[in-house]
Amino acid sequence: MAQSEDIEALIARTALGDRKAFATLYDQTSAKLFGVALRVLNNRANAEDVLQETYMKIWRYADRYTSNGMSPMTWLITIARNTAIDRIRATRDAADVDALADRLAAPGPTPEQSAVAGGEAARIVACLDQLEQDRGQAVRGAYLQGLSYAELAEKFSVPLNTMRTWLRRSLISLKECMEQ
Amino acid sequence: MTTSSETPDDGLLAAEYVLRLMPPREESAFEDRLAQEPGLMGYVTFWATRLSGMNDEVAPVAPPSRTRRQLMERLFGPTQRQTLWQRTGLWQALSFAAVALAAFMALQMLRTPEPTLPGTTAPLLISEIAAEDQSLRVLAVYDPNEQRLTVTRTAGQAALGRALELWAIAEGAAPVSLGVLPDEPRATLALPADLREQVAGLTLAISDEPPGGSTTGAPTGAVLAVGQVTEL
Repeated sequence: MAQSEDIEALIARTALGDRKAFATLYDQTSAKLFGVALRVLNNRANAEDVLQETYMKIWRYADRYTSNGMSPMTWLITIARNTAIDRIRATRDAADVDALADRLAAPGPTPEQSAVAGGEAARIVACLDQLEQDRGQAVRGAYLQGLSYAELAEKFSVPLNTMRTWLRRSLISLKECMEQ
Repeated sequence: MTTSSETPDDGLLAAEYVLRLMPPREESAFEDRLAQEPGLMGYVTFWATRLSGMNDEVAPVAPPSRTRRQLMERLFGPTQRQTLWQRTGLWQALSFAAVALAAFMALQMLRTPEPTLPGTTAPLLISEIAAEDQSLRVLAVYDPNEQRLTVTRTAGQAALGRALELWAIAEGAAPVSLGVLPDEPRATLALPADLREQVAGLTLAISDEPPGGSTTGAPTGAVLAVGQVTEL
């Protein structure tokens, strides 16, 4: 995969309507995003659809990248992951489609959060390992597979409220660990 | 973040939002707040960034080439491919070829074939070697008078670090390599002498091979595109 700065430059040129830059951005990042979508959807055909939808959003919203404070790969992965989760939830409950409207619309200036190095992001894995095993797996399931509280509760055979408490306590521990 | 897990503070809400753990109604309420409270986005960015470290565990998977093509067509219309065809003039040539071929076939049905006299100009032979999803297309034209096979790649290319190798398959025989296609879209290849007399019945195929081509004398990778040779 290309360096962050390259991807950042490609996103910037995409925001200006540069189709060639967009095609290069696709070539350099689509395998990672396809992997992310596959992990959530577990279905190739759906993941292909979601990948297309993801890049349509990237094309449309590239000009919002600079204002969101995320690293370029985090931003791209967030779009792919959210699009994939929207897809499973929409197919699971068609009535929720409207409620799950495009969450990319939320812009926000956050310059102070912007530069977090990849090494720091990788800390999450070490911090997850410090949690009790099933709690760590629950956070992984929520992030990597997009599982809801209800699905996690079922998967780990605990009541819904227990799962909610697990997750929240785990997130608090994670935050403390990552801020050390 | 100092609050207990029972009454989540904004940092925790942001984590739940990023993880997509909120029910739809809470989620859209949080998004409304995001639009109005600039400080909130900082928490969202914090979590999105930190959690994305988990993606190191996700292996990249190359999507099929049709996904890219469909995406570009959805965004920009089907113009890209057409301009390529128009630029090379092949589109017109191929349309003409199809019409000429149809006319020729119709004539053939009406009259008995005459033996071709030696010395007369032999007709061109043509083959469009195409992938089922059109992700790779190569037009091959053989001129029997010059005994040269000209190939023009009009769509697709070798995968990164791989090569495309062209094969000729006579009916009932093993594939014979005609060579690795160069990076340039156009190439002229020599045809082995024993194949020159039976070009009209050949099947041409392109396989995915290591750089430099197959070392075994037979295709080792996937067959990406296939075409029949027909008289023009």
